[in-house]
Amino acid sequence: MGNWEAGPTAYAGPTSLIPLNRAMPDPLRAADAPLSWLDVMDATIRACSAHGRAEIANWLARRRTRMLEPQLRVLVAGAAKQGKSQLINALINATVCGVPDHGGTTVPAVIRHADSPVADLVRRDSPSAEWIGDVALRDRIPLALEQLDTAILQTAARLPAATPLHADIGVPRALLAGGLVLIDTPPLTGLPGRGADAVAQARDLTTGAGADLVLFTCEANRDLSDAEMVVLTDLARLFPTLMVVLTKADYAPDWRHHLTRNRERLSRAGVPASIAAVSASLRLHAVKAGDAGLNTESGFPDLIVRLQQLLAAKPDQLATATAAVLSRTVLERLAKPLRAQLTADQASEASEAVARLHATQRRLDDLRRCTGRWQNKLADEVGDLMSDIEHDLRERTRAVLSEVDEFFTTADPAKNWDEFEPWLRESIEDLTRTSLTWLVERAQWMARKVADEFPPDAGDVLPAEMFAVPDELVDGPGGLDAPAVATFSASQKLFIGLRGSYGGVIMFGLVTSLTGMSLINPISIGGGALFGGKSIRDESKALLKRRQVEARTAVQRHVDDIFVRLTKDARDTVRRIQRTLRDHFTAVTEDLQEAVMESLRSAKADADREVAARDQRARTVQHELAQLSALSQQSRALAAGPKRQAIPAQRSAS
Amino acid sequence: MIEDEELEQRVHRQLDQAKHAYRGNLAASARLEEAAVRLAEPLRLAVAGPPRSGKSTLVNALIGDDVAPAAPTDGPVTFASYQDGPEPRAWWFADDQRPHQVSMVRTTPGLSLSTGAASSPPGPDQTRRAIVEWPSRALRRTRIVDTLGGLAEGDDQTGAQRVFHEADAVLYLTGHLDESDLNFLWAGRGLRGPSVFPVHVIVVLSRADATSGGRPDAMITARQVARRRRREPRVGALCQDVIAASPLIGHAARMLHEDEFRALAELARYQRTDLEPYLLSADRFTATDAIPGVPVENRDRLLRRLGLGGVRLAITLVRTGCTTRADLSERLQEYSGLKELQSAVAELFTARRATLKARSTLTVLDHLLRTEPPPGQGDHLAEIELLMAEVHPFRELRLLSALRSGRVDLPAESAAEARRLLGGAGTSVGERLNMPAEATADDIWSEAYAAADRWRHEPNRPGTTPAQRRAAEIVLRSCDMILTWLDETNL
Repeated sequence: MGNWEAGPTAYAGPTSLIPLNRAMPDPLRAADAPLSWLDVMDATIRACSAHGRAEIANWLARRRTRMLEPQLRVLVAGAAKQGKSQLINALINATVCGVPDHGGTTVPAVIRHADSPVADLVRRDSPSAEWIGDVALRDRIPLALEQLDTAILQTAARLPAATPLHADIGVPRALLAGGLVLIDTPPLTGLPGRGADAVAQARDLTTGAGADLVLFTCEANRDLSDAEMVVLTDLARLFPTLMVVLTKADYAPDWRHHLTRNRERLSRAGVPASIAAVSASLRLHAVKAGDAGLNTESGFPDLIVRLQQLLAAKPDQLATATAAVLSRTVLERLAKPLRAQLTADQASEASEAVARLHATQRRLDDLRRCTGRWQNKLADEVGDLMSDIEHDLRERTRAVLSEVDEFFTTADPAKNWDEFEPWLRESIEDLTRTSLTWLVERAQWMARKVADEFPPDAGDVLPAEMFAVPDELVDGPGGLDAPAVATFSASQKLFIGLRGSYGGVIMFGLVTSLTGMSLINPISIGGGALFGGKSIRDESKALLKRRQVEARTAVQRHVDDIFVRLTKDARDTVRRIQRTLRDHFTAVTEDLQEAVMESLRSAKADADREVAARDQRARTVQHELAQLSALSQQSRALAAGPKRQAIPAQRSAS
Repeated sequence: MIEDEELEQRVHRQLDQAKHAYRGNLAASARLEEAAVRLAEPLRLAVAGPPRSGKSTLVNALIGDDVAPAAPTDGPVTFASYQDGPEPRAWWFADDQRPHQVSMVRTTPGLSLSTGAASSPPGPDQTRRAIVEWPSRALRRTRIVDTLGGLAEGDDQTGAQRVFHEADAVLYLTGHLDESDLNFLWAGRGLRGPSVFPVHVIVVLSRADATSGGRPDAMITARQVARRRRREPRVGALCQDVIAASPLIGHAARMLHEDEFRALAELARYQRTDLEPYLLSADRFTATDAIPGVPVENRDRLLRRLGLGGVRLAITLVRTGCTTRADLSERLQEYSGLKELQSAVAELFTARRATLKARSTLTVLDHLLRTEPPPGQGDHLAEIELLMAEVHPFRELRLLSALRSGRVDLPAESAAEARRLLGGAGTSVGERLNMPAEATADDIWSEAYAAADRWRHEPNRPGTTPAQRRAAEIVLRSCDMILTWLDETNL
């Protein structure tokens, strides 16, 4: 397969040439031929290997080998002191397993058929090593046949502690000759109170011992505890049928009651277990006395019939049922992580790329909103600034003018102009500079205010160079010439004086003429001089007033001119600033938008890629799940197949 | 020599000092108050163990009446306490409620307390208590506390701690002493301080009658098992004694009715070979047409009361010469292990009430001082430790238990003398020295000196083991204390 379709949409799953329905059985088989358990088992093993679960595959392969053997290995398990060893002793009618009063079974024992009694202690290489198979001679320690349980204990005590051991005991019994193998085990720890360790221990035991069937014992005078139910439920995942045996039924008056309750409990929990009550001591009595009736009462004949049925059913029904249960359990195990992955993928909708896309979109929206905002802000601020600066200028000029007014109430422009004119120029220069500085500061402040409208992640958006106060004023106020006011010349004074003295001379001359004096006499001349002087003084005062008024008017006009010019300048400056800021911020906005758009595009591409990858993954997982479920359907079909009849259920011993 | 009263006074003093140090700390004061109240009470003996281990039956056997389990109608109680009183009365309360008196009726097993409609269904962590006052001689010096079986289960140790906090001494019942039982007992033993000495636990192997399928010699086998178990160092480190007993047979024996005896006597009249087949299983024994001489209801009743093993044992006893009800009751009580258990309780618990009470109180004090030390009270803690080091009775009790169980092996005479000097036959000086009441001061002095001298040289005997030397040291310490006491009392 070429890589021409590589790309986000290309199929990225396994490119193996094995057909996808590789789990299907042999195509040469007739279409309607029933499935064989071996096919399903093999397909399950292949599925395990394909999913990288080699350990499960190995384990299944071992179970498969076991199922092909004719033996039926029955593992007797249960809590301490539940009559496991006694059950085996009674089944085969020989004391091969530990005496219950002495601490219970510590070494597992495999009891099989042999032509003559034989017992060995087998040392295994590791705790996980299989119990079945050829054992090297040096690992096989022969045991004395008398007092077997003490012999086992003593021999085991001589070996280093924690050596994995089991006893291999052969007894000549017709019951075992058919291939029945009984396995006595140490008690499961913690039961019946706690079952945390017992579950794992039961699994290890069944795996190690290669059990085909588990026989779980429980005293007949009590109900199965919760922990025991947990162990049984777990075992039901590995074995198609379990046997729960209530022991010591002879000693429990209420065993029927407990039998019923336990049966109900097991069926409620969905554990496919047959349950029966037996009494080992009755069986031993019966065998000793040769009492067939007592033997039937003990419940053992039924148990033996059941075991033999299962032994006969092993190559066919039992194997089929085992394959069905195992493959279902294993497939569930395999499917679980896949399903978890699928749900996790679906759940994590907001992946990183998508989150980034959303964030970028949000940024773009923010930026758009801020464009409107900063424009409004700028316009508002400029309007404010204009009116403020105008008002400020007016205030300042008015202050200058009032000072001028005050000055000219006393000062004589003719005399003081030279000292007044520089002061005025300086005042106006001051005014202009202050106003301009303030204007620039306001403009900078405004720029910052506008910049604040931008989102914080836009960085520093202020213009690089702020406006400075111009060194030279736009146009100096220029000098102001003294108003052209006629000065009071000497001839004018003489004329005014003469004109004033005339009246005085006449007035005083007439009065003195009455006394006979001539019209022109010293008194009248004195009066004339008085009147002339006054006229001159009056005249010069009036002139001063006129000069002052004129000077004020001139100054006012001058200042007004300057005000108008300054206002115009200020307005121009503000407009210029506004224009500069607008251009600057527009450029900034465009830059930002460009950047955000760019990252939006890349985020979108990322998100698209990711969605595609996830879909791809989901498709692959679903594909694998579909395969598994097809396989699982086969195993179910196997379980309910036409060939299989239910393993005959047994009535309890009565 | 610390006598019981003196020990009690010293513990009281410690409590008073602690109360002074913790005034203002409400929680601590409440705990100290409770400890002080409990110090004055009779000994509290808890009967604990996993479910169906025969706790309530044993309580009934010890009291000699059908009172346990006492439970409200809406569920079991965590602790049911039985104490002596002029007339039968019962109280019931949950958690921190105040106890309120309730009426009770006898039911087939035990008593049923009518709690009324006000009670809520029991929560998982709720502590529900019932207190039953019942006129009984057995309760005069001891309160018996029946515990909920669920407390001995589960992975956490809180159940065990609740039981051990509740009682001064514990009878732990179990079918066969396994890992989970040992874990439970471990939880009751402190790591340090006064709770280190497990002088307050007796283990009862309560399924003794079912050993080896309930043959008539089941009890003997069970006793052998118990003897073997109590010698195990792991078990010995956690309890004073392991006793095999069958509460079922013991209780039935104590309450044996005349008609029950008659039925048993009737059964015993059958030929052994004729009866044997019917005693093989419970089914056969209660079959309608089995034994025509005894009606089936009677047989059924006998089976429920005694169990199959008990029936077999009782018939054997009647055959071998128990001709009256009292006789049979006595022998059955003996065989069931109840007598042994009662004497062990009397010797190890009831006679040592002061020591066990001191242990409970000092454990509370020690825990309090460790977890929330009062400011500037380091010397107080030191004082308690000193007291504990001086509390020789704990060591005496441990050595007594070791001698009983055979964990420590002394020559027969020495063992008897050691047991006596350690207070195994009574804790007074006279009893320890085996002096008659009319002995003169000189006699007592010389005997005390002689004993001290003997035990000083005991470790020097050839071939003594380290355990024996340690035992001799403890006995010598007891002798020294006797001498100190004699000196102080100017005898």
